[in-house]
Amino acid sequence: MRVYRKHWWVPWAFLALPLAMYLVWVIIPIIQTLSLSFTSWDGLSPTTRFIGWRNFEDLFHDSIFWTSIQNNIRWLILFILVPVPGGLAIALLLDQKLPGNKMYKTLFYLPMTLSFVVIGLVWSWIYDPQYGALTTALNSIGLSSLNRAWLNDPSIVTYSLVFAAIWRQIPYIMVLYLAGLKNVPPEMVEAGIVDGANRVQRFWYIIFPMLKPATIIAVTVSVIDSLRSFDIVFVMTRGGPFYSSNVLANYMYIEGFHNYRMGYGSAIAVIQFAITFGFILVYLSNVMKSEGVD
Amino acid sequence: MKARKWIWLVVLLVVVVSTLGAQRLVINSYMSDEAPRRVFAELVDQFRALHPEYTVVLNVFPHEDFKVLIRTQLASANAPDVATWFAGERMRYFASRGLLAPIDDVFPDGFGKDFPAAFESACAYDGTLYFVPQSWYWWGIYYNTKVFDALNLTVPENWYQFLKTCEILKQNGYTPIAIGTRGTWTTGGWFDSLNMRLHGLEFHTDLTAGIIPYTDPRVEETLSSLADLAKRGYFLENHASYDWQEAATRLFNGEAGMYLMGQFIKDVAPADVRDDLDFFRFPIIDGTIGIYEDTPIDGFLVPANAQNKDGAKVFLKFIASKEAQEYFAVQLGRLAANRHVPPPDAHAQKGLDMILASDGVMQFYDRDTDPQMADRGMNAFVELMMFPDRLRTILQSLERDRQRIFQ
Repeated sequence: MRVYRKHWWVPWAFLALPLAMYLVWVIIPIIQTLSLSFTSWDGLSPTTRFIGWRNFEDLFHDSIFWTSIQNNIRWLILFILVPVPGGLAIALLLDQKLPGNKMYKTLFYLPMTLSFVVIGLVWSWIYDPQYGALTTALNSIGLSSLNRAWLNDPSIVTYSLVFAAIWRQIPYIMVLYLAGLKNVPPEMVEAGIVDGANRVQRFWYIIFPMLKPATIIAVTVSVIDSLRSFDIVFVMTRGGPFYSSNVLANYMYIEGFHNYRMGYGSAIAVIQFAITFGFILVYLSNVMKSEGVD
Repeated sequence: MKARKWIWLVVLLVVVVSTLGAQRLVINSYMSDEAPRRVFAELVDQFRALHPEYTVVLNVFPHEDFKVLIRTQLASANAPDVATWFAGERMRYFASRGLLAPIDDVFPDGFGKDFPAAFESACAYDGTLYFVPQSWYWWGIYYNTKVFDALNLTVPENWYQFLKTCEILKQNGYTPIAIGTRGTWTTGGWFDSLNMRLHGLEFHTDLTAGIIPYTDPRVEETLSSLADLAKRGYFLENHASYDWQEAATRLFNGEAGMYLMGQFIKDVAPADVRDDLDFFRFPIIDGTIGIYEDTPIDGFLVPANAQNKDGAKVFLKFIASKEAQEYFAVQLGRLAANRHVPPPDAHAQKGLDMILASDGVMQFYDRDTDPQMADRGMNAFVELMMFPDRLRTILQSLERDRQRIFQ
């Protein structure tokens, strides 16, 4: 104890470098973005003007901003509803001792190894309304009536984008659950079998509750990934046609960098930060509760 | 021990000599399509051979990304020495914010000695030159001659004939007009051409300057002509799914008949179809209005933060020279800005004649108006082409944008 008090600075010395980096690369930029969001800076001029809440008032009346928020909500809901159960289902399947297990795991995991830019390009080709793989496939099995202009129709373009992103998200969630399943003690499942629980009951009353930590992480990761979605939108549609597939991150980029409205773009970033931060707080409090820290 | 000292001394000498002897010259270019990329790299090699005292670094960026990146490049303390850019309002936007270095001394005998006097205003801001023009080109309606021959079509000269041509193409299973609007700028050509044909140059200049409301009945007339073409189903289906090059392949492979585009469409055409492409002047709509065309000028600027401004100017003098301009024009079929360079081929001669016979020129919608307005406008044109019935709401929304942007 005496040693600890005498050398109180030691942990700080070790932390100094990471803290400094965190300050320079995270905290200060957040503060800068916040202060920029109250200006009309064009991203070019050496000086700028303080305009108070004007950017936020403009955002409130900006229909493209609301379209972006709506699309972010679509991403959010679909990212929770599809990859989490989907990843869990595949993880349960692959956790059985099936022949060729490793190969299947690798195959399912492959999309995860591709960058979003590559996925965006590949899916743009798949979605090509005339020569794309999807259109060709639907035609060849006699379902040509289902064909749509996947990236052209404002009412479905966001779903087309989310689907491509989900294709990559599922294996990610699968890996989280595979790791989680390793932590389920086999004795408990065996005890369930002895007590006469069927497969559904064993899953629902034993395995799934034991997977709760993995589920919390899977949902939170999906929420955060859906909120920061940018690459796929940028590569596949650039937010178009006419802003209809924009998400906040993409709209922020267009306004800030493309249209020379850094102040306005910063205001969008601040809103996005507030939303994401809210979700992270919920996540952290959940984690702390489950770990018994208050 | 002694040998090691010698080695160090030699290393030191080499370092000193190389830093003193060769100056770094950084050139950032947006010429990312295969043909212009190759030709410009060859020009830079020629410059290297002429001026070994410079270590020239050429960075090529994807064209659309460059438009965004240049903002950061100009504002950074470590700006490139030379950058490709567009003449007119897009250059002035930077010049008015003090981000460009004046380059009057690149033209010691005056701009007009080697370049058309008409270009000077597009290269200057507030009476000072900031831009060296390299090449320029015309916009026109490119068409596939094989398709036209197969249907015995002749080149339409007025709007009535144009609509008829579109209808015949459509009836015969062709896409009358190819266009890719994933990059929205392609719609700017349609807006400019229709607006200038219907209402003339002065009106168009005032509109791009933000003086005229988008709810003006004349703008409505322009855009209802565009909406009309869309309603008749003349544009390539699902055009928002395609980049301009992807849509151009429909013209090249004979699925589509026409494409309103700049001369650079030939850059991306495969060699075996390049000769099947020809162009005609955008059809006359109102005979009482003069003939005005889009003729964008491309060239170079020097950032105010450039490290090696003297070297940059040496390069600009080289690129402004008759030889360098001729090389670029001949290789790519563009028109050189230097007026001592003749049009490189019959195609370019035809383009030049078309422009010389016109009554005035603009740059292009996204080069003539404010960048924000251009972004909103071109997205609105895409929306209109997909939902022609939304004309009124689109105009009202554009007018709200105009009032905010040009306040």
